[in-house]
Amino acid sequence: MIKRSFAALLCTSFLSMPLAAQDNMDRLSNMQKTDATFTYVEQTGARADALRAIVDHISVPDGFEVSLYAVVPDARSMAMAPQGTVLFAGTRKDKMWSIIDRDRDRVADEVKDFAPSVTFDIPNGPCFSPDGFLYIAERNRVLVFPAAEFFFEGPDPAVGVVVPQGGLVPAEEESFNHTARVCDIGPDGKLYISLGQPHNVQPIDKLEMYDEWGIGGIIRMNTDGSGREVYTRGVRNSVGQDFNPATGELWWTDNQVDGMGDDIPPGELNRQTAAGQHFGFPWTNSRVEIPLYKDVPRPEGVSFVEPQLELTAHAADLGMRFYHDDSFPQAYHGGIFWAQHGSWNRTEPVGARVMFTALDEDGNAAGAQVFADGWLNEDTGEYRGRPMDIEFLPDGSMLVSDDFAGAIWRIAYVGMAQ
Amino acid sequence: MKQALILGLGGLMLAGGLPLVANAGDAENGRKVANMCRTCHGLDGYAQIPIAPHIGGEPTAYLEAQMIAFKTGQREHEMMSIVTAGLSVQQIADVSAWYGAHQVRATLPEGVNAEDAPQNCVSCHGADGISVLLDAPNLTGETNIYIDTQLKAFKRGNRQHEIMSDVAAALSDTEIREVADWYAAVTLEILPPEE
Repeated sequence: MIKRSFAALLCTSFLSMPLAAQDNMDRLSNMQKTDATFTYVEQTGARADALRAIVDHISVPDGFEVSLYAVVPDARSMAMAPQGTVLFAGTRKDKMWSIIDRDRDRVADEVKDFAPSVTFDIPNGPCFSPDGFLYIAERNRVLVFPAAEFFFEGPDPAVGVVVPQGGLVPAEEESFNHTARVCDIGPDGKLYISLGQPHNVQPIDKLEMYDEWGIGGIIRMNTDGSGREVYTRGVRNSVGQDFNPATGELWWTDNQVDGMGDDIPPGELNRQTAAGQHFGFPWTNSRVEIPLYKDVPRPEGVSFVEPQLELTAHAADLGMRFYHDDSFPQAYHGGIFWAQHGSWNRTEPVGARVMFTALDEDGNAAGAQVFADGWLNEDTGEYRGRPMDIEFLPDGSMLVSDDFAGAIWRIAYVGMAQ
Repeated sequence: MKQALILGLGGLMLAGGLPLVANAGDAENGRKVANMCRTCHGLDGYAQIPIAPHIGGEPTAYLEAQMIAFKTGQREHEMMSIVTAGLSVQQIADVSAWYGAHQVRATLPEGVNAEDAPQNCVSCHGADGISVLLDAPNLTGETNIYIDTQLKAFKRGNRQHEIMSDVAAALSDTEIREVADWYAAVTLEILPPEE
């Protein structure tokens, strides 16, 4: 009874909130100022000390050294500015961080939010074009910031809209968990954006609509938002992609179905050799058949591309990057590093590590190996950190974002002791 | 929600022959169940990842009702639907008791006046986000995107509630974000259960 009277009260009450603040987007598009101010993240003190204590637990191959690069709350996908002046890291909240190492001592000395004048909504995925345009793929919008590596110093950088709010997916298909987008500019100059589907397994009645939008896929478009098409089909929820600089082929990781057991389906690292290829989901996930789709006809005339590597189930393979620098030993050149975020409901937790595979002479993945681990406390099953994405500094050393610890770690090759 | 709960339990009995009503939740048993929850929600209910809400010190009845709703398919989430499918009604009662037994403390940001709280929310969620009803969650210190996402789900019909569906339907997306920002800015502390 009490509830009903509350309902009645609420139905008849008027909104008494302050009027919505004028969206700053209009002003910024006209290069006008707003009254936005920066949020700075403290880089010294107790928090930084606690993070540095984690470094001792991280294992890397001989000759490599781990350090804390920056304290960055909720750090997700990263993009290094083409001229190396600033690193951007997205979050699954409302901040895009800019991370600056002004004295080039390989430790960040300033971390502040990028474009505080913009109201962000899960700005997980930053990516740069070679000519310095920063694209930010949000839950359901894509923005572009010209010359971001110079304008980031002010709170009001110029901004343009590539995909307007509500244009990536229908608003009713927005979720929180599978809406951390990643983006990349391909060798064709187009913008590639992953669109995770917002279910464990999508309901059958949504199959056709999702296929048209590219939900459960990767889409590409011109950088002005025109010419959108579905580039990749049969994806569950990819949160990591990169183009092989040697061949221009798109590689990507995928996250697998939950609820089928601790050891299936295996995680995936995929190689795409042509536009429009289908990778099996929701019919299959790493060759494992999904029961709900057993009797649903498969797309006609399509053969599923199987993953290059089948990985530890539920370890959550996320951000990946080809190694195209030269300060790491030769064995790593041209190979792929990726982050395993770690499982969330496996009986024995797995993951929370950085993986590596070399490519063989046919350009296929040669086999997964652990490159760095120790973020998972094996004794208690608790995480010290959870690696999310990989990026490289101009000196070729590796950065690993960690949205659990709220840090960006650096792994550098310092050479073998003589 | 009470009606929904009974319907949900009735369905469970038909499907799996489970008892109609679980015994009152046992917080100590619930602490063990919480090992399945801790990666996302923390052992004390302070969320470890942005997509998960804080659940320590939540009204026990609310927690139990939501988990039953996930289990019966009335509410859907790509993770919680899986987790609750593997929990018995008794385990749900126990783990709700564990998290519900925690104490919460909310502190408004400095210089912020409680009178400026979103007026169409305070009668159930308080100005500081601490629930004043058994059927309403605490909102204190939740990630703004979490609150934003839930309000939009109510608005678009992906989540349903006899009060919230109407409340959210009347809000613009900008107003939703303002509500979310208000409660996200309140500091939440979760204290252990009283001995």
